[in-house]
Amino acid sequence: MPAKSKPRLSRGVLDMKFMQRTKDKVEKEADDEQSRALYSNEINQKMLNSTSNFMVESSYSICAGLIDGRLSFRGMNPELEILMEQELAEKQGRTRPEQPKEVSDQDMVKAYYANKAPTVSGSMSKKFNTKKDFKRKIGEDSENPHATRKQHFKKPRSDDD
Amino acid sequence: MSTTSTIVMPGERIAAIEELAKSKRVILGPGLRRLDDTVVASKAGPLRHKEPGTFWVDNYQRRYIPARGDLVLGIVRAKAGDLYRVDIGAADTASISYLAFEAATKKNRPDLNPGDLIYARVLNASADIEPELVCVNSVGKRGKLGVLAEGFFFKCSLNLGRMLLRENCPVLGALTRELPYEIAVGVNGRIWLKAHSLKETVALANAISALEQSGCAEIDKICGNLGDFLQT
Repeated sequence: MPAKSKPRLSRGVLDMKFMQRTKDKVEKEADDEQSRALYSNEINQKMLNSTSNFMVESSYSICAGLIDGRLSFRGMNPELEILMEQELAEKQGRTRPEQPKEVSDQDMVKAYYANKAPTVSGSMSKKFNTKKDFKRKIGEDSENPHATRKQHFKKPRSDDD
Repeated sequence: MSTTSTIVMPGERIAAIEELAKSKRVILGPGLRRLDDTVVASKAGPLRHKEPGTFWVDNYQRRYIPARGDLVLGIVRAKAGDLYRVDIGAADTASISYLAFEAATKKNRPDLNPGDLIYARVLNASADIEPELVCVNSVGKRGKLGVLAEGFFFKCSLNLGRMLLRENCPVLGALTRELPYEIAVGVNGRIWLKAHSLKETVALANAISALEQSGCAEIDKICGNLGDFLQT
């Protein structure tokens, strides 16, 4: 009696329509097993778990960081020069230091919470509010008539441009 | 890139790289080979180094060895069914599919004839199969690639092509000060030039060919009097 034989699904079962995916999986496993058995005497332990610090790169352009060789100067090929400019701008954008902020982080936080921005925590906490809380909130809001008024689109004045 | 360089010969062990590889990742470029833990040069020339850990041998060579990702100039040699055969100066001709052009479809083939010059990217490079080129980027746009019309084409050493393509290489800037022009430099040592008149184009070609024998260090000095070459 074999020491440890994996239970296998019979062919009849695998041919059933709903077993197609399992059938593919089983076939792949069998294939892998076969190929492993085929090459097992070729592969040694060193090949399996060696970590190397060497990487091989056969391209000079990547090693030396060469630029694209298609260039145009002083308006000889405007289409190409636009492309070159875009590439340059992209490159500078990547290397340029952070631009100064017009609004400081602290101001931003203040303004954000002052406007009661819809946050996930806000909408989640709403879920757990009781009816009492809800009524109290409505009561508070109704004191302020401006808050209840629905906002409508205002036609811009013609001299507003 | 360091300017001070040691000359290595084929078969020479390079202990400095082996030492460095013990502590960090090292990239071995063309001309260097790894045999287990030893690094051996396979070409003769100055050993170049770029931070953090890239090494390669900058040998003198005129035969291009295709490498994936390179931008090359090629001459269309023949039409072979769905492919065009393109000469890129390598041991074997490269192939480019007629679908590897912007807006090309089965119905709408690119108008490419034997003798046309194309600027293309090497998509596939292996020692065992012929290299494959494309004239579009990953989103199907032409970008800078494609057919080069008119102009003047000449060959040079791979070193000269690479030298012109270094970042902040002074040569092309120095030539621009003299006259406007358009250029395509392939890392396969082929250059295509176009200026307003034939005379100007030939003068530019002469000026660039004059740099053939100069090293990276001398080039800055020569650039000052590139204008003289343009006069002749």
